Amino acid sequence: MLGFLQRRRAESPRIAQIRQLGLFATLGPKELRVIDSLLYERRYLKGEVVFDDGDEGQALYVVLSGRVMVCKEINTVTTVVAEIPAGALFGELALLDGAPRTAQVRAAEDCVLAALSRADFGNLLETHARIASKIALQLARDLGHKLTARFVTAESRPL
Amino acid sequence: MRLPYLASGPLVWLTTMAITTVLLVASSKALWLVVPFLLAIILYYMLYPVVRRLVLSGVNRETAALLVAAGVTILAVAVMVPLLPWLAAQSLAGEETMYRYLAGGRTLIDRTLETLEAQFSFLRRLNFHAEMGKMAADFGDNFLQKKIGETLLKAAAWLPSLLLAPFFAFFLLRDGRVFVDALASGVPNAFFERTIYMFHRVDATARNYFQGLLKLTVIDTVVLTIGLWLVGVPTAPVLALIAALLAWIPVVGSVIGCVLVMLIAATEFPTDPWIVYATVGVFAFARLLDNFFFIPLTVGRSIQMHPLPVVLMVFIGGTVAGVPGLILALPLAGVVSAVVGTVGGIVQDPRLRARHAYAKALQKERVSVDFGL
Repeated sequence: MLGFLQRRRAESPRIAQIRQLGLFATLGPKELRVIDSLLYERRYLKGEVVFDDGDEGQALYVVLSGRVMVCKEINTVTTVVAEIPAGALFGELALLDGAPRTAQVRAAEDCVLAALSRADFGNLLETHARIASKIALQLARDLGHKLTARFVTAESRPL
Repeated sequence: MRLPYLASGPLVWLTTMAITTVLLVASSKALWLVVPFLLAIILYYMLYPVVRRLVLSGVNRETAALLVAAGVTILAVAVMVPLLPWLAAQSLAGEETMYRYLAGGRTLIDRTLETLEAQFSFLRRLNFHAEMGKMAADFGDNFLQKKIGETLLKAAAWLPSLLLAPFFAFFLLRDGRVFVDALASGVPNAFFERTIYMFHRVDATARNYFQGLLKLTVIDTVVLTIGLWLVGVPTAPVLALIAALLAWIPVVGSVIGCVLVMLIAATEFPTDPWIVYATVGVFAFARLLDNFFFIPLTVGRSIQMHPLPVVLMVFIGGTVAGVPGLILALPLAGVVSAVVGTVGGIVQDPRLRARHAYAKALQKERVSVDFGL
């Protein structure tokens, strides 16, 4: 009904970028515009801390460019346990249960991150349930993949 | 183990109260700007759900804000145009009507005192009627009549600035998120998550307070309309709405509303004081319902502060900024409390400060790499 008001505009470069991200892959153009308006873009220098182990998580991050590393303190030594490339997400547990961060994340190289805050995701659940459910489904899939990968790694480890 | 997200305690209370007081004093110097801004915020929270719905249906945000603003303007004009002749007549007769109601109130006081003197002989011996009647007359002649004139003049001076409210509301609806993004972009990475949490708390405090206030106004209007209609007070819905709007002023607002309706009832029914007493009963009952049921369900817990600083802030607001100060004190204290709590949490967290210092060092190293420092 309101189609005449929907200006046919060229897609912004950032929308084109977030369309490529797995988390938002199932969203339509209008839904992507809603999400785009909720994302905070942050720039980190190599070595800069994104969040610390034990922090109260307030946002999920998607790596738009660059790489980040996940660090854990093992026997008082800080060890890199994983690297997250462009297009992948991290910190998603903050959106689901607001639990404290379980590891430290630092920029492995200069990177640009998009952050979706827990409060905005909560509002999305109330006001744009369809978008929030699509994101939640993608989050569940992502967590499933991570869990499977961890099982496979554990099983292939020599006894 | 990390420190709590939000700092709390007496120091945070004192800082919150001090900053809120300074802001209230500053706002009392620029009421022509503060009052329309306050109305704009209320309009924003009323209209935001409509804009959001339009955005979801595919309309871009700018157009959605424009459509909603245009719709509200057309609606306001459609409502106001038929009312203008009536309003003009009322404003011309406004002062005269007020004096008539004041006279009605004095008649009620006289009759009540007479009845009391007739019932109790010790009041007769004290010459109670004459003394109290003199005090009431002095109060009416010297205080109220002057105040009414001053208040009407001030209200007339503010009217043009109130036209700013729809403009402010429109820009908040259109660019609200742009303001938030601009503020967030200036925040160092180390404090980013705390800051977005603070934005959320500030928004939640203001939204819950003002939307709760609007719901409470509707509920109060309905309850008072039913009560006043049962008592037999004329134009019950209009008086109920005015009284419900006056209740926006904490503590004293509902008393002013009650006195206003009492004066009208006393003037309209000079021979039947029981209608006035029943009116007081209706207001007392509505107040009880508010305190026990409706306020906890609406405005209730929007201001996450201890009741002691909340009550103090209401009185300080009234002292430093008058009626707008009374209305502003609570939401402003809630917002300042969220900001002070967050900033306090950052200041008390050495890890966050260390992360910020490290990021600055990285930045410095990067920009001075060719200096060979």
